[in-house]
Amino acid sequence: MISAPEIRKTSAPNERWNAVACQGVKKSFGEGEARVEVLRGVDFGATLGEMTFLVGPSGCGKTTLISVIAGLLDPSEGQLRVLGHENGEMQGSARVLFRRRNLGFVFQQYNLLPSLTAAENAAVPLIADGVRRSVAVKRAAELLDRLGMGDKAGAMPKVLSGGQQQRVALARALVHEPRLIICDEPTAALDHKTGESVMQLLATAAVAPDRAVIVVTHDNRVFHHAHTIAHMDDGVVTRIETQKH
Amino acid sequence: MIGLALQMLRADRAKYFAMILAVALSIFLMQNQASIMMSVFAMTGAQIRDVSEAQFWVMEPDTECFDQVKPVPANALYQVRGTEGVSWAVPLMKFDGYARTESGKLSVVTMMGVDDASLVGLPPRILKGRPEAVRERGTVMIDPGGANLLFPGEKDVLGKRVRIGSESLRVVALSDASAPFTGFPILHMARTTALMLRQAEERDTTFIVGALQTGADMSEVQRSLQERFGLKALTSEGFMKSSEAYYAAQGIPMLFGLTIVIGLVVGTVITGQTFMMFVKENSRHLAVLKVVGVTARQFAGMLAAQASTVVFLGCCFGTALAAGTSELARGQPFLRGLYLPGWVAVATCAALAAVTVVAVMMSFRKIQQLEPAAVFR
Repeated sequence: MISAPEIRKTSAPNERWNAVACQGVKKSFGEGEARVEVLRGVDFGATLGEMTFLVGPSGCGKTTLISVIAGLLDPSEGQLRVLGHENGEMQGSARVLFRRRNLGFVFQQYNLLPSLTAAENAAVPLIADGVRRSVAVKRAAELLDRLGMGDKAGAMPKVLSGGQQQRVALARALVHEPRLIICDEPTAALDHKTGESVMQLLATAAVAPDRAVIVVTHDNRVFHHAHTIAHMDDGVVTRIETQKH
Repeated sequence: MIGLALQMLRADRAKYFAMILAVALSIFLMQNQASIMMSVFAMTGAQIRDVSEAQFWVMEPDTECFDQVKPVPANALYQVRGTEGVSWAVPLMKFDGYARTESGKLSVVTMMGVDDASLVGLPPRILKGRPEAVRERGTVMIDPGGANLLFPGEKDVLGKRVRIGSESLRVVALSDASAPFTGFPILHMARTTALMLRQAEERDTTFIVGALQTGADMSEVQRSLQERFGLKALTSEGFMKSSEAYYAAQGIPMLFGLTIVIGLVVGTVITGQTFMMFVKENSRHLAVLKVVGVTARQFAGMLAAQASTVVFLGCCFGTALAAGTSELARGQPFLRGLYLPGWVAVATCAALAAVTVVAVMMSFRKIQQLEPAAVFR
């Protein structure tokens, strides 16, 4: 059982952000009068060995921020450092390879490939990185076993429940042992009980001393899993709380 | 990633089979039409090719093709034989007429009267009977198409009779003459028999076929015959090309070419469009792959593998269908000239593969334009 967290408000603890550090990050879309500034100077970070929650109302810029952190979008302005690499240091395929080897993703809609088995889905990052398919699938199946899905390794996604699919997605995010895991609303499509079990699994399987986890969520029932909660509103982080476990 | 790509392709069975079917039908249409066109053109020179002993053909200068002929003067044979460089030369008669059987079957037939002594001009292969038997006056050799048309259902046509004009001719051999362009039955007979049928004609020799002496120059012989006697001489190859060119000028290639192009366009449009739909419907999954770090090069490889599989299987099925149809047709006496040249099969598959690659590359562009951040929405 996880004990009730101790919540305290802090200022931006820049020196602790050894996994991800954003300072004054801005991101806008469109030009001229159509220009929309979604991130308006974000100070945010994540620490190795911790689970950092990014919370806030819809449209506040959470998804854009994790897209920028993941290297899927370029910031318009500001400083961004991910696992020791400054923004702009890597471009094109170097950035893709960096993402492939160092980042893992869990999505709200699981996004499993329907034509692949659970183990094959979980093995995709390894296969993409050149690991032989049989080896990759074996490693993925072992991980699924550790996540309580050993008997479902050969199952197709359509026969799995939402919770089971999210566990497969979690295995896909962990299989290549990335140093940063980004989860986008991982419990939004699940009922509370299943969502809680997925979060517990995330807390136990994903959090490691050399790994940081960023979770974007609306679900305040799972906030107790967070080490740090960053509140966003209208394109800026308005408050950062740390919780002791 | 190639294995995963193929797994993704095969999982969408409807599109997978639709694409293979589109390629197969397109290939079938292209190969079928191309093979018919090639076969038709080959048929324009079929009877020239059948006179395998001849190196050259001498004819009236106005003659453009084998089927449109004007007999040469009576003394032309001696003029050719007397030309320097000519080893030997024999007359060959070619004319058309109506043949009627005892059972009442009637058909236009093409008749070939060959030199009685040498029998030069008979087809190289005889299926039944002896070629020498045609030396007997009033006998003919018939081709399989003619046998089938004039004596339907008869297993053995040897001994059967055909009436041409007032003469009744006995069939003494079944030849394996190449299928003619006209589709008419081909009757080979000795010149003596042919003359018997053409008593009223002033000129009784259509062509003179012959061979050169060793070391003789064909162009010299051609020039000599042209300048001294006003006769046109062509090599067998040249005469076949001239006959092909004559029919090609009638617009035949354009009609077939149009169908071939339609086959190519329809096949690639359907395949390309289906591929685009496949990419569009899988765009979310492809975006996920982009997010987890699949590179543009890997995507290109995946698409190439998927396209190659579809094109390869489609080409195999289409070619098998075209070859099968061609083989079935060859079983029919009048369609025995149909064949699927190997280079046509290779060329059509290559053309379709090339155009499909372009269509599939457009799908690749779609993947390149995919916004990976969309998976978070």
